[in-house]
Amino acid sequence: MISTLDKLYAVLRRDLLTAVRHRSGFVLTLAGVLTELAAFYFLSRAIGPGFRPDGLDYFPFLLVGTGVYTFFVMSTQAFLNAVQQAQQTGTLEVLMTTSTAPAELIVLSSVSAFAGNLFNLTVYLVAGIALFRASIHVNFFSLLVAATLCLTIALALGIAAATFQVAFQKGSALVWLLGSGAWFLSGAMFSIHSLPAPLEVFARSFPLTYAVDSMRRALLEGQSISEMASTLVILTGFAVTLLPFALAGLSFSLRRARQNGTLSFY
Amino acid sequence: MRIDTIIQSLSRASICAVIGNFMERVAFESVGKVFRHRPALFNWLGKEREGQTVALRNLSFSAAEGEVIVLLGPNGSGKTTTLKLISTVLLPDAGVVRVGGFDAARNAGEVRRQVGIAVASERSFFVRLSARENLNFFAALDEVPHSQRNGRIDEVLHNTGLEEQADTLVMKFSSGMYQRLGIARALVKQPSVLLLDEPTRSLDAAGTAHFWTMIRALAQQRTTVLLATHNFSEASAIADRLLLLRRGELLANRTSKGESAETLRAFYFGMTGEIDEAASAFNV
Repeated sequence: MISTLDKLYAVLRRDLLTAVRHRSGFVLTLAGVLTELAAFYFLSRAIGPGFRPDGLDYFPFLLVGTGVYTFFVMSTQAFLNAVQQAQQTGTLEVLMTTSTAPAELIVLSSVSAFAGNLFNLTVYLVAGIALFRASIHVNFFSLLVAATLCLTIALALGIAAATFQVAFQKGSALVWLLGSGAWFLSGAMFSIHSLPAPLEVFARSFPLTYAVDSMRRALLEGQSISEMASTLVILTGFAVTLLPFALAGLSFSLRRARQNGTLSFY
Repeated sequence: MRIDTIIQSLSRASICAVIGNFMERVAFESVGKVFRHRPALFNWLGKEREGQTVALRNLSFSAAEGEVIVLLGPNGSGKTTTLKLISTVLLPDAGVVRVGGFDAARNAGEVRRQVGIAVASERSFFVRLSARENLNFFAALDEVPHSQRNGRIDEVLHNTGLEEQADTLVMKFSSGMYQRLGIARALVKQPSVLLLDEPTRSLDAAGTAHFWTMIRALAQQRTTVLLATHNFSEASAIADRLLLLRRGELLANRTSKGESAETLRAFYFGMTGEIDEAASAFNV
């Protein structure tokens, strides 16, 4: 346990140092966050107060929806980038010769990638609330449970992208799928109730839909655990299914890559 | 306590480790490795090679504790594949690779704890970290105890001549510095088996001479070293034993201590059948 925490600290420190030494990176990220918030704020004002998806003001609805959706896409992308870069520089092979098990190593790296994006999400939400006066009504306990389940699912998606990258050198396919199709099916920008019935059914099979919904309920409506139980049960189902499945897939693809000599192919 | 109770209390892994101490540090038992070429769809669009490359055929050898083995052979002879199999980056298709008594395919974790590797054309570092920060990161992953980490890092930085560059970002390093840092990284975990792939390719003359001295010192401290090179002077300076490979086959496995570079050169070209153009052109 101490060893794992020590390794996690080493990975977090590596990524933090790398991030702060990209001097312009921080400023550009912050500028991007503020620009995006401003765009959504004025979009919601242009649409007017009459548009209240799921009974919520449109700007807070957008704030949470796009924040959570972006967190999922960017975390998966960041994690995929880390694996791709490790393949390109040859670091992946060297990392696989350390005393840390390959699967543990990739999970630790993913935790680090998610920590960075969780920070971005927090900045995004706080800036939206503080600067653009988004109205919220938080139930902190529900938020903690929903956020934990969302993180678990995001972790599984990140590991799945790494698996695709190691197995087929095509982890970007999963990110593309998330980036292109899932934004409107997840209800990030408008309620899935406004989709045609077959598409709404399809949208309900996506974990992202429930992730976005649960965060809105906890952050904007202040719902208790019992009030949002059905959403949390479905999210838990996705979390306990996807994570072991992704980990097993990763272990298999790493072993296959070591057998085929394709670990550093990209 | 009865002996059978003691034996039952030992885990399978620890029994392997105990047995391993009495065996050779590294053992290849009829190892084969094949790389299959699987062309993409639409191969007619741009022709890609099909079939397979046999990287190693039925390779058997062993390395004892404190022995320095030099792997010689033309490009594509299987030297790097041999090192990668020991480091568990690759898995064999046939036969068994053992390190300290552990099967590298089945007990990869135990094997990785014992092995340090530095590869040629070393770029595998985090370029926005300093040399010391890189070593600290890899030392953590190699489970070097926290209390010993700084001391060991200082020691390997000193041994590889990187003391002055310890806090320089790696992105500002020259090729030679990268190579030194690669060697430092392999050493920081104090491996019982050290694998080196063309370790002096980018080093200057003084760095190379210092490196050879360091390898001999490590061997005296009972570290087993396997080193792949094309440099006969290097082989002559450090090898206890020589493995000569060609197209994945072992052509020769012989002791070579004290043999001159010229003798090794003549032996190499005689065995591989390659033409020593330098010998005829420059009368080497």
